[in-house]
Amino acid sequence: MAMKVLVVDDSITMVMSLKTTLSMNGFEVETAANGQQALDKLNAGCKPNLIVTDINMPVMGGLELIPKLRAMPGLKFIPILTLTTESDAAKRDEGKRAGATGWIVKPCSGDDLIRVIKKVLPGA
Amino acid sequence: MASAAYPKRELYSPTLAEREDVMDSALSGMNNERFRKARRRLLLQAAYRLLFIFLFNSCLNYIFGPVPFENRFQVSIAFLLFLILPVLLDFWVNWAQARKGIADLGQVGKMSKEELASVLNRRHSMGNEISSSKPYIDVMHDQIGDSLAESEREVVEVIQQISTLNSKAFQQRERIAASIKSGRDLTESTQLRVENNKQIIAAIAMQFEIQIEEFRNNFERVQGLAGEVGSLTPLIKVITSIAQQTNLLALNAEIEAARAGSAGKGFSVVAFEVRKLAVLSTKAAADISKKITETCRNVDREMAAARASLEEHEASSAIGQLVGDLDGMQSDFAKNSQLLLDVITEVDANYAESVERLTQALGHIQFQDVMRQRMEHVQEALRGMREHMQYMAQKTSDFVWDGSFDRTFNEMLEAQKSKYRMASQTVTHLAVAGGQSSNTDDGPAIELF
Repeated sequence: MAMKVLVVDDSITMVMSLKTTLSMNGFEVETAANGQQALDKLNAGCKPNLIVTDINMPVMGGLELIPKLRAMPGLKFIPILTLTTESDAAKRDEGKRAGATGWIVKPCSGDDLIRVIKKVLPGA
Repeated sequence: MASAAYPKRELYSPTLAEREDVMDSALSGMNNERFRKARRRLLLQAAYRLLFIFLFNSCLNYIFGPVPFENRFQVSIAFLLFLILPVLLDFWVNWAQARKGIADLGQVGKMSKEELASVLNRRHSMGNEISSSKPYIDVMHDQIGDSLAESEREVVEVIQQISTLNSKAFQQRERIAASIKSGRDLTESTQLRVENNKQIIAAIAMQFEIQIEEFRNNFERVQGLAGEVGSLTPLIKVITSIAQQTNLLALNAEIEAARAGSAGKGFSVVAFEVRKLAVLSTKAAADISKKITETCRNVDREMAAARASLEEHEASSAIGQLVGDLDGMQSDFAKNSQLLLDVITEVDANYAESVERLTQALGHIQFQDVMRQRMEHVQEALRGMREHMQYMAQKTSDFVWDGSFDRTFNEMLEAQKSKYRMASQTVTHLAVAGGQSSNTDDGPAIELF
C-alpha cells in the first residue's frame, strides 16, 4: 500500500510540482494551502505517513502548525519536513523546537527530496 | 536675487494668479490646514476653560456662600490668568512655528515677492512630480504582479503537461506489463500443453509401434496360411487324376458289362454311375483348383498391399516430425518469452529514467516559488516607497513642515535587511548597498534534526 504524504504550501506551483514528484515516485498525496486547511483535513480523517510543510503561509504558517500537529493524537512521532525559502539559523532553531523532523531549503532537487523522504520514512 | 535665476520647470508652469495665490496663502498662513486646525483647537480650549471658571465660581458660591465681589473678582482674575496664560502661550508657539515655516520657506524679509514665488513654484512642481510617482510605482508594482501571475500560470501548465506525460507513460508501462503477463501466461500454458501433447504423442507412437508389430505378426501368419492353401494345389491334381482314372475304369467296366450281355446289365448301371461320379469328381476338383488358385492370387495381392503398407508405416517419420515440431515450438516459446522479458525490462528501465529526469525537472520548477517570494518582497518595498513618496509630496505643500520624516529611505533600506528570508536576498542587498547583516547564515540546504 502506498505511503501517504500531506503537502502544505500556499504556492500552487509548489503544491503541483511536489504532488507530481511524489506521485511519480509511488506516494499518495494530499494537499492543503495553509496550516488551518491541513488541520481541517487531519481532523476530517486524513492519516498521512509524512507531512511536508512550508513555513511562510497565510492564515496559519508552518511554525504555528507543527506544535499543533504534535499535540494531535497519532501525530506525535510522524515525520514533519519543512520545505521553505527560509535559510536563517534562528528560524531553523525555531522549527526544531516546534517539533520539525528536518529543514529543507528551497529550491531542493527532486532526487534530494525523495532521498530525504525515504530516509525519514523507512520502507517507503 | 532675481527671479530669472530660477529656470522654469517644464512639467509645471503656474500662472501669475496662481503664484500670487500661493504666496498670499503662505504669507497669511491662515489658509493653511494646520493653522485652521490649530485655531479651532485654541478656541475650543478657551471655551472649555471659561466654562471651567464658571463652574469653579459656582462651586465657591455653593461651598463658602456668597463671596465679596472684590475677592471674587481677584480669584477669577487669578484663575483666568492661570488658565488663559497656557492658551496664549500655546497660541504664541503655534504662531511662531508658522512664522518660522514661512520664514524658512521663503526667507521672508530677505526675498522679493518674485523670488518667493519662484521658490514656491519649484516646491509646488517638486510636490507634483513626487506625487505623480504614485502611478509610476503602481504600474511597476502591478507589472511585477502580472509577471508573477503569468509565470505561475505557465509553470502550472508545464507541471500539468509533465503530469499528463507521466500518467500516459505509466499507463503504457502498465499495459505493456499486463500484456507481458498475458503473454507469459499464454507461453507457460502452451508449454504445458506442448509437454502434454508430447507425452500423448509418445504414447500414441508406442501404441503405433505395438500395432505395427501385431500387424507384422498377423501378416506373417496370413502369409503362412496362404502358403498352406497354396500347398493344397498338388492334392487337387491327385484328386483330378484319381477321378480321371476312375472315369476310365468306369468306361472299361461299361464296355465289359456290354460284352457280358444281359448278365452284365446291372453291372453296366453301376459302371455308368461310377463314371458319372468320376466326371463330377473331376469337375469338383477343377472347381476347387480354380478357387484355390483364385484365393491364392487374392491372398498374394492382399499380402503385397499389406507389405507395402507395412514398409510404408515402418519408413514413415510423421510422428517423429510431429514430436520434433512440438520441441521446436516449445523452444520458440521459450525464446519469445525471454524477448518479452527483455522488452519489459527495457521499458521499466526507460520509465525509471524518465521518472528520474522528470523529478529533476520538477525540482528545478521550484525556482518559480523562490522568484515569486523575492518579487513579492520587491512589491512590498515598492508599496513602502509609494507611501513614502506620497508623504513627501504632501509635505511640499505643508508650510509649517519642519523638514523631518517619519522614516527615511536610508532607514527603509536598513529595515529591509531584517525582512529577508533568503540568504541570497541579503547577499544582493549587501553587494549593492554595502554594510553588514546577521542574516547571511546559509546553512545546509537539507538538515535533519
